[in-house]
Amino acid sequence: MGFALTFFARRLGQGVLIVLLVSFTIFALLRVVPGDPARIILGPMATDEVLEQTARDMGLRDPIPLQYMRYLGQVAKGDFGTSFIKAKGGGSMGGGRDEARGERARVLDLVAETLPLTLQLAGLALVFTALIALPLGIAGGLMAGRWPDKLALYASSIFVSLPNFWLAIVLALVVTAKLGWIPSIGYQNIAYAILPAFVIAIEMSPLFIRSLSVSIADTMRHPFVELAQVRGLSPRRIFSHHVLRNAAVPVLNLFGVQIGALLGGVLVVEYIFDYPGFGLLTVQAVLQRDFPVIQGIAIISTSIFVVINILVDFVSAQIDPRIEY
Amino acid sequence: MSERLLTVEGLSVDLVRDGGLVPVLRDVSLALEGRQVLGIVGESGSGKTVLAKALVGWVAEPLVASRGVVRFRGQDLLAMPPEARRILRGSAVGYIGADPGSSFDPTLPVGRQIVEKVQAVRADIDARAAKKRVLDLLDRVHIPSAARRFDEFPHQYSGGMLQRAMIVDALASDPAFLVCDNITQPLDVTVAAQIMRLLHELRSDLDAGIVFISTSLPVVCDIADELVVLSRGEIVERSTPARLLEAPAHPYSQDLIARNPIIWGTPPLPVPAEASPRVILAVDDVTKTYVVPDRTRFFGTQAVKAVRGVSFAVHGGENLGLVGESGCGKSTLSRLLSWVEQPDQGRIRFKGQDIAGMSAQQLLAMRKGFQLLLQDPFNCLPPNLPIGRSVAMSLQIHGGLGRKAIAEQVRAVMAEVGLKEDDRERLPIGMSAGQRQRVNIARALILEPELLILDETLSALDPMEQARLLDLFERLQARHGFTYLFISHDLAMVRRVCTRIAVMYLGKVVELADTRSVFFEPTHPYTRALLSAVPTLEEKPFKAADCLLEGEPPSPIDLPQGCSFAARCPHAMPRCRVEEPPLVDLGGGRFSACWLNEPEVSRAA
Repeated sequence: MGFALTFFARRLGQGVLIVLLVSFTIFALLRVVPGDPARIILGPMATDEVLEQTARDMGLRDPIPLQYMRYLGQVAKGDFGTSFIKAKGGGSMGGGRDEARGERARVLDLVAETLPLTLQLAGLALVFTALIALPLGIAGGLMAGRWPDKLALYASSIFVSLPNFWLAIVLALVVTAKLGWIPSIGYQNIAYAILPAFVIAIEMSPLFIRSLSVSIADTMRHPFVELAQVRGLSPRRIFSHHVLRNAAVPVLNLFGVQIGALLGGVLVVEYIFDYPGFGLLTVQAVLQRDFPVIQGIAIISTSIFVVINILVDFVSAQIDPRIEY
Repeated sequence: MSERLLTVEGLSVDLVRDGGLVPVLRDVSLALEGRQVLGIVGESGSGKTVLAKALVGWVAEPLVASRGVVRFRGQDLLAMPPEARRILRGSAVGYIGADPGSSFDPTLPVGRQIVEKVQAVRADIDARAAKKRVLDLLDRVHIPSAARRFDEFPHQYSGGMLQRAMIVDALASDPAFLVCDNITQPLDVTVAAQIMRLLHELRSDLDAGIVFISTSLPVVCDIADELVVLSRGEIVERSTPARLLEAPAHPYSQDLIARNPIIWGTPPLPVPAEASPRVILAVDDVTKTYVVPDRTRFFGTQAVKAVRGVSFAVHGGENLGLVGESGCGKSTLSRLLSWVEQPDQGRIRFKGQDIAGMSAQQLLAMRKGFQLLLQDPFNCLPPNLPIGRSVAMSLQIHGGLGRKAIAEQVRAVMAEVGLKEDDRERLPIGMSAGQRQRVNIARALILEPELLILDETLSALDPMEQARLLDLFERLQARHGFTYLFISHDLAMVRRVCTRIAVMYLGKVVELADTRSVFFEPTHPYTRALLSAVPTLEEKPFKAADCLLEGEPPSPIDLPQGCSFAARCPHAMPRCRVEEPPLVDLGGGRFSACWLNEPEVSRAA
């Protein structure tokens, strides 16, 4: 298992570097753009002296690299800081200067509350994507040029032309409000994740349908597939043991890249459905300039992206030993 | 009457195209007994591969078997239900194809795939027994350390090894009937010779009838008991090898025999038109090593030693041949010579000037006098440009001419290489390989170069077209005084046109001499091995059995100590495995890198 060990050591090293770069970029950008966090915390009524005092107390007037190093030191201890805005109970508390800082919500707690909900949503979305893309893509690839191939093409053209926010609103209106079949808007149980997940799946599936049908059609044209029939392997075995295996690598790589799109899709969809997940937290944090929350979110979502891509590359290398990393 | 192993009666196969039928095979009849080897010889496009596949009951869209039967032990293979045919195909019938590199699933270990096949067709063999059988067979086809190789992936095998693995795959289920479809074609000559030796060895203890199909008449004659000649989908002659060579009845067979290269026989050796002492290209101790990541070690790298200290000089007006098998570094060398890549060490001088010291402008001017023609005529031309514009582009890049003058020169040069006036507006698509190669020649020629480097330029062409282009090269040389550097694996072609030959093995020149010496008095054992392996119809002065040992050429990543040919050399001495022999002057313009030449060296000195 020497390969696995060196692979993970090297790739995790690179991953840490990527996370540091991304988080520093976001950290620095937040401090360059207009909008003083101290003003946001204290509200419009605070005097300039109090404002300066608070800012200096919070270290907001130090050079950015110094602030970043200090922040990293805290993160290393597991402390992602506290929200500027959100209270422990969940409500917003910006603008009031009397509340004690200790009552503000810790970033880690906010993430811990919302991330599981989003993972559930993303997982469900992936299941839906697979349910849509696998049959269409595989049939299209195996019967290239015939009607399943055309069906796959038309279906993905339609899906790709549906704007996600439009579909989300229509579904919420028709399925939830009018027909009352599936609940949505807000969150009480897993049923509330179905419609948002479906919207994300419709958005993601066209790419997977195309990638699957193209890579399966390519694999079917390989001489070894034809020869396998002359060698006496049954068509079913050739498909399940060889064609799927060879076609899987490009699809897996697409999956790794699409994780980013998935996180982006979650953002919009959660906002529309008011689904209290990571995406909604992000939107709120950005709108309210809640720096510690944005930074925490950046580090965590970059890490998710990096880790999933490392796993994708590892699985690809396990499937196809010719792949070098 | 006992049943024949295989009979083919009146088989016709057609290609369905645009609703019509194009005949591929016409009225082919064959018969094969057990333990017999039936040879089928035919050129590319004669329908060989279609026939080979039809023999195992494999006629798939867009082909249809419109008439005739293929009977294996009395059962019609073409009319059988698919499931029964599948079982029969894997077990009683074995098929070995021409393309070992893409015959296995690249993502699974070779051994496991062969076991998978055995188990798919032989329910009576369990997994343990199947694995043992495959290991035994891998041993039997001389794959070294079979147990380790069993778990390796196809890309870790060389071409020759994969062909051996394909043989194991076909033999693993004890077939009664074996089809070998052009199995030596993609292999290097020495590796092909080793595969043929293996096949001879196996046939004596195999209880199977073999159909051996090849484009190469000498190879078929070497192994077949009887043979048929296939031309344009029809059998034009049935004979035995001896009878065919002595008295070919059909004009096509006569032509086929006449077209085989003669190396040691009568045709005169090429004489340099005007051997000038002027050195055009001087290559001095050039080295190139590629560094590739080693995935088994942390941050590890491996060094691929592609070219290891090569020196030679090309004189004005001569034809120098650079021959060697795949992996010997000849393509890397051609990239270095044309300065597509820079050597790690050593100097390359063009007309006395060191290329390394040239400015970008000088380099452009130098490239004008120095043109490279590559093997693949298809990817060398911009597909969306009419060929007249492609040809003109060479002049535009080098600049300094008006539109009229360029058009005039394009017309002249296209006429010179044998392209028609109205070809100027054509796109490369739809042109034959030979025509495209002419366009490439025109693109080089229009710059009036002094030196043309031909890197396997003719390898992708059929023999007829090859001969025509060689004539063209000769004419151009007579008219313009070109110097050619032929880089090729084709010894017969090099024998025809080159005045001096350098033989390369694993990144080094092992022998360099005039053509006569190389072919008649080779001084390096590798040259002898190479010559012994060339398939020819004539009696050879060197026998493969005496000149070449079993074994694979070593990998350029992991070169052994001492002489790199020692492992396959029948004359290897203890010294050869320790010390690498240098290229030494034997006198008379002959150079050789072998310890066997030691006494001669001292005599010459």
